[in-house]
Amino acid sequence: MSRVSLYLSTLLLVALPVAYVAFLYLVPLGGVALRSVDNSTIHANLPATASAIDEAGAPSDEVAAALAKDLAAADRRSLGELARLLNLDAPGMRSLLLKTKRALDEVEVKGLADLRAIDPDWDEPIYWQALAENAQPYTFRYYATAIGLDRDPAGGWQFGAEGAIYLQILLRTFWMSLQVAVIACLIAYPLAHAIANGPPTVRVLLLGAVLLSFWMSILVRTTAWVVILQREGLVNEALMALGLVREPVQLIFNRLGTLLAMVHVLLPFAVLPLLNNMKQIPAQQRDAARSLGAGPFESFLRVYLPQTMRGILVGAGTVFILSLGFYITPALVGSPGDQLLSYYIADFMLKQLNWGMASTLSVILLACVLLGLAVAWLVNLLWRPAARAA
Amino acid sequence: MSIRWKSLIAGLGVTVLALPGLAQARDFTIASWGGNYQDAQRTVYFAPFAKSQGDIRILEETYLGGLAQIKAMVETGNVTWDVLMIERSDLIVGCDEGLLEELDWDAIGGEDQLVPQAVHPCGAGNVVVSTGFAYDPARVKEAPKDYADFWNVEKWPGKRGLRAMPKSTLELALIADGVPLEQVYEVLATPEGLDRAFAKMDEIKPHIQFWEAGAQPVEWLAAGDVVMSTAYNGRIALANEEGRDLAFVWTDHTYSMDSWAIVADSPNKELAVEFIKFANTPEPQVEFPKHIPYGPTNKQAVERLDPEASKMLPAGANMERSLFIDEQFWADNVDRITERWNAWIAQ
Repeated sequence: MSRVSLYLSTLLLVALPVAYVAFLYLVPLGGVALRSVDNSTIHANLPATASAIDEAGAPSDEVAAALAKDLAAADRRSLGELARLLNLDAPGMRSLLLKTKRALDEVEVKGLADLRAIDPDWDEPIYWQALAENAQPYTFRYYATAIGLDRDPAGGWQFGAEGAIYLQILLRTFWMSLQVAVIACLIAYPLAHAIANGPPTVRVLLLGAVLLSFWMSILVRTTAWVVILQREGLVNEALMALGLVREPVQLIFNRLGTLLAMVHVLLPFAVLPLLNNMKQIPAQQRDAARSLGAGPFESFLRVYLPQTMRGILVGAGTVFILSLGFYITPALVGSPGDQLLSYYIADFMLKQLNWGMASTLSVILLACVLLGLAVAWLVNLLWRPAARAA
Repeated sequence: MSIRWKSLIAGLGVTVLALPGLAQARDFTIASWGGNYQDAQRTVYFAPFAKSQGDIRILEETYLGGLAQIKAMVETGNVTWDVLMIERSDLIVGCDEGLLEELDWDAIGGEDQLVPQAVHPCGAGNVVVSTGFAYDPARVKEAPKDYADFWNVEKWPGKRGLRAMPKSTLELALIADGVPLEQVYEVLATPEGLDRAFAKMDEIKPHIQFWEAGAQPVEWLAAGDVVMSTAYNGRIALANEEGRDLAFVWTDHTYSMDSWAIVADSPNKELAVEFIKFANTPEPQVEFPKHIPYGPTNKQAVERLDPEASKMLPAGANMERSLFIDEQFWADNVDRITERWNAWIAQ
């Protein structure tokens, strides 16, 4: 087989998976990225206003007439949507625009005075600034909100009084995912070791237990924790019966409960790669290490552990990445202070109909994960030759 | 009645539903909130209506709140529902954005037969849902009477259940702080009023346990997780029918309405209009609270209620001290206030 035909046949083999990934993954992903800066709803429906208004958003008769013309031409669906979007920048603008639109059936707007007659709120500069800021077909409104920026009265950006709430939540998401990954690995390591090296009956039982929970619905497993950990649940009853505590302990609807439930749900993802890894390590190596004079601790540390690093990294990495996208489990067993970024993405998407904000938070989360992977890859690259030289 | 965590789960389902399906010439489809709520509607509304229309087939779907699903249907031109039972906040925004059909009120029996709050250009209010607070009398020494007591953590120590959202919660903070009912939204609209509400929330922040689904307060009260919790009146009444003994405080309760609305571009619009016309009449409305304890919106139905049964309903004497949630205020301010709320929780 010539080299060319080898390339061709390889290309043919990957054509289907590549097309699949491109259309069902990259295209929607691109759509999400576009949506995070898209402002076409406002721009496309207020063309006359966009060209009439200056950058500072100074109200004038000309702009007022242009706005009235745009509003009169807008259909119900696009007007409703653009009113909701402008309301993000200027609270109250939603009602103001809808009221103005209704009034246009009876009043002819030639200038500012006519708009003010419809509603005196048109005196407020904030509404005109919002129009000026949205004269472009793209917007950085969502990114600004995500990093905690507000509009200042002069039309620039300033840090909001509330601080960078979504960055804090992003940080929390990474921190909790890291905690879950570390705890899951600490629990999974001895478990995987027991399955890999234990007597056959124990192996079957343990592996069965891990797989059984793997196949059960996340929802069922999460609700089970509510029953176990609640104020008058099994754990608290047991602690009280043993006389260890007098009052029931708060074990759920807080960080502790969230971490416990997440670790449990994700444990199989740490056990399985570790198990796969450990099964490939010949048992004779331990005997060899011992015969060469290493104690049990040293033989584990210098012979066994280094060979399971790959399993640890794959397991921890999988748990970490999956944790970043969790929202059902924290929503059921956590307090509002334990919710991860996905909770807010879902909330913006489903409840608040703010798809721009949902897209932006998704893009930021994805970018952080990619950045993390790039850093890991770099560290790996730099660390390897050093390890070899040692 | 919003079942929030269920709607989170349903998020995954939205994608699937948005895929183009068989939209043409399908059966009349009604979406509601599932559970015993929809069971009651089936008995009182769906079955008699199907019969009156010559035994038509009615398909039922479960709706979990929000507008994402309806927006996806309308924008892809694949409208698979005709009528749905929608919360007032979503009704207002959905109507403004053309996701719901505008109603011809003359065709559905006129505005006059319903209480004024039930009349909206896109929806006919059908079910009055009230949120008061509940407690287990066996677990408190003295009965709490109002929201000032709800805030009194010295006299009634223990966790307080509150819904995990600013809407209907900040109102309570102001009421507890002594703001008269009729001034609540006036005060909340000012920056000082908002500060005041959050300052009042600070007082009980360490004692709050937030709920997302209507079933949670009942479970928590029964399990002793919380000493008091806001809750939907219907949930508490049903729990008591099932053998619990929870008390419900009607003083200063907040209420809203679930409405029947028609999805924009519904292919079965005539039937949908007929259905809403039937739903507005007093006969089924007076029947509905017998199955699930929420209040009617038809004026005659309100009068015809059995006085004994209406003790657990948002009707009659229970409405004397009550606050109708101002959804217009929230539609204009929800983004701004939610941001502050999220920041407040994260602190």
